[in-house]
Amino acid sequence: MLPLLKIEWLKIKKYPAFWWMFGIVALTYPGINWMSQKGYESAVSRKDVTGNVAKMLLGNPFAFPDAWHSVAYFSSYFVLVPAILIIMLIANEYTFKTHRQNIIDGWNRNQFITAKMIDVFIISLVTTISYTIVAAIFGFTFSDSINVTRWAEELQYIPLFFLQTFAQLTIAALLGFLLRKAFLALGIFFFYFLIIEPIIKVYLRIKEISFREFLPFEISNRLIPFLNFFGRVNKDANEAYKQSLTEINAHVLYTLIFTTAIWWLCYYLNKKRDL
Amino acid sequence: MSSVLSLQGITKNYGSLRALNDVSFEVPKGCVFGILGPNGSGKTTMLSIVLDILRADTGTFSWFGKPSSCDSRKKIGSLLETPNFYHYLSATDNLNITQAISGRGTPADIDAVLETVNLVQRKNSKFSSFSLGMKQRLAIGAALLGNPEVLVFDEPTNGLDPVGIAEIRNLIKELAAHGKTIIMASHLLDEVEKVCTHVAILKKGTLLTAGNVDEVLTNEDIVEISAADTTRLQHALQSFSGFTNIKHEGNNIQLFFPIGTANLEEVNRFCFEKGVTLNHLTIKRKSLEAKFFELTNN
Repeated sequence: MLPLLKIEWLKIKKYPAFWWMFGIVALTYPGINWMSQKGYESAVSRKDVTGNVAKMLLGNPFAFPDAWHSVAYFSSYFVLVPAILIIMLIANEYTFKTHRQNIIDGWNRNQFITAKMIDVFIISLVTTISYTIVAAIFGFTFSDSINVTRWAEELQYIPLFFLQTFAQLTIAALLGFLLRKAFLALGIFFFYFLIIEPIIKVYLRIKEISFREFLPFEISNRLIPFLNFFGRVNKDANEAYKQSLTEINAHVLYTLIFTTAIWWLCYYLNKKRDL
Repeated sequence: MSSVLSLQGITKNYGSLRALNDVSFEVPKGCVFGILGPNGSGKTTMLSIVLDILRADTGTFSWFGKPSSCDSRKKIGSLLETPNFYHYLSATDNLNITQAISGRGTPADIDAVLETVNLVQRKNSKFSSFSLGMKQRLAIGAALLGNPEVLVFDEPTNGLDPVGIAEIRNLIKELAAHGKTIIMASHLLDEVEKVCTHVAILKKGTLLTAGNVDEVLTNEDIVEISAADTTRLQHALQSFSGFTNIKHEGNNIQLFFPIGTANLEEVNRFCFEKGVTLNHLTIKRKSLEAKFFELTNN
């Protein structure tokens, strides 16, 4: 595994898109959370009834321990940025035909897929580290003296964020692997992530079909549930939030099964098909 | 002589097209093995199969007497079809990856192979900035890394200028002189004839012949003669027996005999007795080009 990691690093470390992605993640993660925090601040700073209601509704999502959850939730929308990199890293191998050269030079076909899984792992790790730093900075910045002592609560969102990122980047890797062309894979990934799956989710909800939690992205989206904004005033919303928290463990399992199945498919196809 | 590569009954189909049809041959250790064939004859498909890029539908092959594995490929320096490198990386960085995957050579050997293929001045330039010839030379450099015992070259002189072609030809001869086994696919017959000791000829996926160059090219003896009076010589030869065919090549006449039956002394004596003095008498090998066209009916 270590030699594969070393070789993948040789490929990545001088790839400009990797550093662009790193820079964009380093900007967007604090950026989106900063914007959300400013929105929250402006809502609760009003002296009228609306300000008080907002404060009552929202609590302080950027103070500990909620910061881990809130920052993970807002940041998770930007999985699109590392997904671009994953698709490009995989499609590049096919564009440059280096997927063949790696085998000619002495890798076996499984090692090629394992190397790509390492890429997904590295990018997920970098993304998770960025999230952790942003969440920690927000938490320490916006916590009062009581909240700050609760910094170690809800740390489970760090591994959950990692798993969610790894699972969703695995879908990006699958598209890159199957389609081999960055433009096509990116188009389908974005279109499905932003448009198709949300429409299917709405349709299934209207039709009261319970399958929607097993849609490719929704499986892992439920690792980081929607924030409990309305739970303080709406009993049903609060119950729904509590329910979503209890489902996290099951979705960890579903996500692991789904992600393993995707990688198994990649290994299987790569072993069988002509390169 | 032990075999480096052995193919048994390799067949490959692309849909309804049969790219390789029951191909079997052996590549002896220490030879320069040329694989010839017109475009689309299956040369690259065959090399892709033995390098595990394509899957054969039927048949087996072995490297060094063992079933193919990634360990066997690590011992082989290969250039298949086109130079395949990371466009955003320099020559050195690309060879670092080759070295890390194959385990051939050390990072310190990279400068040496870049020197061999005249790329040391551009070692820090990105691959995307290279000309076609430079890309080809880098691919040859990658194959040479770690001084492997076996080299596989698919059209190694593609994109090279005449000087580059001569350099690669000399390099191949030099490698062969050091006992390396070289398997080379090419449609440049002259190139193959100049360097190869063994040859296999493919046409539309079928192996027409394979073996030592001398054996492949000499399935008949060609005796070339000439005299000051060609007409008289022609007339005299009408009563000579034993040859199967006669051809005129400029001022020379070529007599084709079944292999091993030509006797220069007898030809000379016959002509002399008929009053014709020969000023040229030699036994010739058929050119690879002639043999190739004969076999492929082109």
